[in-house]
Amino acid sequence: MLLLHPGVIANLLASLIIAVMMLYSAFYGVQILRHWDIESGSELQLVLERKTYLVSTVLSYVFALQLLSLFMYVFTADNLHPLFVGAMCAAGTLNLNAFGYPTLLLKMFNFILAGVWLILNHADNQGYDYPLIKKKYALLAVVAPLILIEALLEFAYFLGLRADVITSCCGSLFSSEQGDGLGSDLAALPPGPMIWFFYGTVFVTLASGLYYYLRGKGGYFYSFASMVFFLTSIVSIISFISLYIYELPTHHCPFCIVMSEYDYIGYLLYIALFIAAVAGVGIATLIPLRGIESLREVIPGLTRKLTMTSLVLFFGFASVVTYRIAASNLIM
Amino acid sequence: MIELVNVKKVFNAGRPSEYSALNGISLNIEENKVTVLTGPSGSGKTTLLSIIGCMSRPTAGRVKMRGREITSLPERFLTDVRRKSFGFIFQQHNLINGITALENVMLPAYPLGERRSALKERATRYLGQLNLQDKASSQIEWLSGGEAQRVGIVRALINNPATIIADEPTAHLDTKLSHRFMEIVENFKAEGRTVLITSHDPLVYKSSTVDRVIKLRDGQIEE
Repeated sequence: MLLLHPGVIANLLASLIIAVMMLYSAFYGVQILRHWDIESGSELQLVLERKTYLVSTVLSYVFALQLLSLFMYVFTADNLHPLFVGAMCAAGTLNLNAFGYPTLLLKMFNFILAGVWLILNHADNQGYDYPLIKKKYALLAVVAPLILIEALLEFAYFLGLRADVITSCCGSLFSSEQGDGLGSDLAALPPGPMIWFFYGTVFVTLASGLYYYLRGKGGYFYSFASMVFFLTSIVSIISFISLYIYELPTHHCPFCIVMSEYDYIGYLLYIALFIAAVAGVGIATLIPLRGIESLREVIPGLTRKLTMTSLVLFFGFASVVTYRIAASNLIM
Repeated sequence: MIELVNVKKVFNAGRPSEYSALNGISLNIEENKVTVLTGPSGSGKTTLLSIIGCMSRPTAGRVKMRGREITSLPERFLTDVRRKSFGFIFQQHNLINGITALENVMLPAYPLGERRSALKERATRYLGQLNLQDKASSQIEWLSGGEAQRVGIVRALINNPATIIADEPTAHLDTKLSHRFMEIVENFKAEGRTVLITSHDPLVYKSSTVDRVIKLRDGQIEE
């Protein structure tokens, strides 16, 4: 019955397309890693040079779909919750079997990796001599198995959904008072110190990003700060941001915020956060490549664009959060 | 200098219709010289010319231009090389009907984003150098064969390329116009350009303007 749900079909189809295209690309990726030699004029080398256009184009679309699939997965899980006893939002739906949360976590991890691959690919396309070809296919060799595992987990999750299973609601999964597990541990973090820590991270990240943008120094630090911002923000959503959005002092769910009751604000926050994190990580990925002759003039411009993108998104995230806290009827 | 290293070109590889047009051509083409590729029909002249001019890629082998390897370049870089380094003169002229001679000449320069007034001034000046100033605003279909070919030559020059590539340029010209064409080639040489021509017209490859004749047969050099 659940297999006929449009959301499930869309997710499984996307997962299947991504997995098949990934296998196809990985096949040529391995050949490129093993046989690529730009100095050679052999027939195989020239075939690989032509093939890399096709593979890069395929991967660009596949990874773009991979980025989208994270939000599609959350949307579907949220959409399915009325069908299951006990589920109040995506949190309960994902808890229906052992594969829901591992799929989500892997999707989040693969989102970052896919984003970094797209950045590497973009940089590689700016050079006249395929300067990053081996690096981007080496990264593909890491990403491809993870994406295939993700596809397997996603199939196991959706195919394993049983309507007669009673699941837990987000109130117990992300409770500061009862329950155990990571969700409850994060929910139990004291909101007061967490607010200070969150705004401290906002300040350090934005300041280091601006400094790097204006002076061109401290790129690695800003990249690291971006990841800290990303993780701190996820924890903060569970710890205190959610409380202000729901205007309930005990409701810590990170999934209910994607519901229409809260104007889908969760999507806005998560999309900004994830894209900013990818841009932030992309900076540290590109900095070591600035010495490559054909990218010497390209990398500084690219890192500046990534810095500005992540700064705008981090600032936007912090502003929306601050506005919701200020406008909330909850007083703590 | 343009250097070719073991260039091969196979069409329809792996199919029953597989055809090997070039079989390991290694060649150096000197700058500021007129080189003619000659040979019977099907010997690989046009294929070789299109590879040198970055209009197609070899199946194997490399082409270097002034020491820079160009066969491996990604397409968008190759377009840049093609646009700025080569001017093409075609056997069939390949001019666009329905627009004027001046517009045809200016067309290859549009992607470079030059100011239109400067471009128009240059195109008009070049047309004047080949006695076509009166034909600038004429539609292509109104021109004679010789005039159309000269418009094609001016179009090849509009981006000021270092190398002019001409594929059977005199095939559709009478003797007088063929001599006129070779005079124009002489001027190219005087301006410091490299000229590469395919032709099996004796009037071309026996001309005193030509510095080197390379004979091709069955995709190989017969020199």
